Amino acid sequence: MSTTAAVGSGPQRAPLNTRVRIPHKRALGVFVAPFAALFTAFYLVPIGYAIWQSTRVIEREGTYGAPTEVFGGLSQYQTALQNDAFWQSIGRVVLFGVVQVPIMLGLALVFALLLDSPLVRGRRFFRLAFFAPYAVPGVIAAIMWGFLYSPNLSPFAAVTSELDLLSTDLVLWSIANVVTWVYVGYNMLIIYSSLLAIPAEVYEAARLDGASQLRIAWSVKIPLVMPAIILTAIFSIIGTLQLLAEPQVFRGFTTAVQSDYTPNMLVYSTAAVPNPSLAAAFSVLLAVATFILSFTFLRLTQRKAFQ
Amino acid sequence: MRTMKRAVSVALLAPLTLAACSSGGGTGEGSGADEGGGAAAGACEPAGEAVTLTYTSWIPGIEDVVAVWNEQNPDIQVKVQTGPNGNGGTYQNFFNQLEAGSPPDLGQIEFDALPNFRVQDGLENLGACEDVMAAQDQFVDWTWSQVTLGDEGSVYAIPQDTGPMALFYREDLFTQNGIEVPTTWEEYATAAEQVRAAGGYITNFSVSDINQFAGFVWQAGGKWFENDGDQWTVSLDGEESTKVAGYWQDLVQRDLVSTLPPWTSEWDNAYNTGQSWTWVSAVWGANSIATGAPDTAGSWRVAPMPTWEGLDGAAGNWGGSTTAVFKGSENVYEAAKFALWLNTSEEALSLLNEAANLYPATTAGQQLPALKEGVEFYGGQDIYTVFTEAGENVPGDFVWGPTMTQVYNDVADGFSSAVSGEGTLTDALGTAQGSTVDALKAQAIPVAE
Repeated sequence: MSTTAAVGSGPQRAPLNTRVRIPHKRALGVFVAPFAALFTAFYLVPIGYAIWQSTRVIEREGTYGAPTEVFGGLSQYQTALQNDAFWQSIGRVVLFGVVQVPIMLGLALVFALLLDSPLVRGRRFFRLAFFAPYAVPGVIAAIMWGFLYSPNLSPFAAVTSELDLLSTDLVLWSIANVVTWVYVGYNMLIIYSSLLAIPAEVYEAARLDGASQLRIAWSVKIPLVMPAIILTAIFSIIGTLQLLAEPQVFRGFTTAVQSDYTPNMLVYSTAAVPNPSLAAAFSVLLAVATFILSFTFLRLTQRKAFQ
Repeated sequence: MRTMKRAVSVALLAPLTLAACSSGGGTGEGSGADEGGGAAAGACEPAGEAVTLTYTSWIPGIEDVVAVWNEQNPDIQVKVQTGPNGNGGTYQNFFNQLEAGSPPDLGQIEFDALPNFRVQDGLENLGACEDVMAAQDQFVDWTWSQVTLGDEGSVYAIPQDTGPMALFYREDLFTQNGIEVPTTWEEYATAAEQVRAAGGYITNFSVSDINQFAGFVWQAGGKWFENDGDQWTVSLDGEESTKVAGYWQDLVQRDLVSTLPPWTSEWDNAYNTGQSWTWVSAVWGANSIATGAPDTAGSWRVAPMPTWEGLDGAAGNWGGSTTAVFKGSENVYEAAKFALWLNTSEEALSLLNEAANLYPATTAGQQLPALKEGVEFYGGQDIYTVFTEAGENVPGDFVWGPTMTQVYNDVADGFSSAVSGEGTLTDALGTAQGSTVDALKAQAIPVAE
């Protein structure tokens, strides 16, 4: 009944009349409920569980006594923060992000601008071609690149046996290449769709003022798609901190990637000990770090982008 | 009604139990269960109705072996599920399933991981199962001491197979290049130089599967853990471990051994293309070479593992599994019955050997007809006699620690760094010593500092 009323009253609703919103709220509830239920079950509850798990410590009697979990306050966090491997893994992904994210987004922006420029032919083909790697699952991409890099199994063994792309010094950048290969097209598409949304009058005005294509790209397009670039940057920062699949797959190709190479891998191997409480503490810390980094970045860039 | 059913089935099954006892020698050891394991061991009674058990294993071809059991035992059906090898993911699944309260009834667990599952309270004590206790005499002594975990009346798993180690080598390449097959580690290092000069590597040192290194330390008489009942003592960086680590560090540093990650295409390729000439591995390694390096059929032979001075004949052990019943299984009796059949009957042991080259943990099983025959892949050599001799010379008192997953991980991380040029294998052991003590403390396991 209320649903019918809500639907019926919809078109007549005056934009400023807040009183009629009450029936809408119920309709809203119906539509939001499935999302809310799934969000709670697969997001809020696991987070709550992880936080709860991270406060547990084990107690037992004797060498083989049965373990009992008791409340341990923040002691797991203390252990986690004192763990060298944790800090090293954070340092590694931050270094990775500082180098890889600008390169990837720079390429994505250049490709998007080229696709948007009137000079390029075969736009559809290139749009699809750049995006295609994203359709390859990350694990498959990593396996493929792993074989390409391999000093013994690579089709380019003549090169890879001389320059070991899987050595300790280079493997991080080899992984960066895989991640870039997969995600450039995806980021390009976000920026490109934002370019398409720019009204044609803006370009017309710029041309009337005598601006060249380069000048339009630099002074008109880039500032206008800045919000899209910031969005892709935040996705990339989050993705970098959560790096797991590619380095995990690379463990099968090289000994230069250890079980605690990235923060997520450390969580994974800690959980395997099994020490779920410490793994939970690592996870919560990682989530907080991701949150802080993303929001700091947003803060720093927001003023410029949205003024 | 229910009780009635149960009583009837107990009566029906009693002769079976007795039969199992007598075949096991019937020494009356079963009474030990009431004393030692009485408090800890749960009940071990038949369900009295048809049951279905779940069993997780990674033995290639295990399905066919279980099918034979299922045909003969309509009332105890076993559903088998296969997964990656233990440290490759199955143990983590087991731990997660235990945490979630839904483990399978039975699972394959290697000897080295038993203490880890025990300390997580994940294993059913089979000490109350009379036919299990009676089967003790059928097993090679050291395997039984590995499943009691230091408590006489308890049994936490049924030994399945063992992994006595020997030297697999490319007979053709050694002959062509006039290199002697090494019998001591000193000779092995010399041979390594000659092989390298001939363009190959004598072997691939396993930096990420630490079980091989553990086997080397075991052979050298080292011990990583001791449990005196009150507390654990950890000595990863003990004298023997340091000696073995120093030996391999030297070979790695001089680029005389390769360090490809084991169990990968890279690894298989190195053996298949003749880049790696030898592999000091366990008996089940016969299968790994045959499947990983099919192009080298007929070129491999097996010789006793190189030895250390003063420890003539001693061999290491790498791997070997058990069949354990997980805590919370409602059909411990049936599960134990299946596990005993799987690991003591000639029928099952022959099938397991045929399918996966498993080398039985029972003394009778080691006399299987199949183990007396030449193996085609090894040029018809009767390779199992080498392993039988090695098995008799495995030091019996090696104890595994309660956090082996962590130990392997930490040592592997350190070894990987070492072969990439950061620190040495010995340094890695020192670091792992510290992290292991920390890991034990984190689990509230008493440990000597």
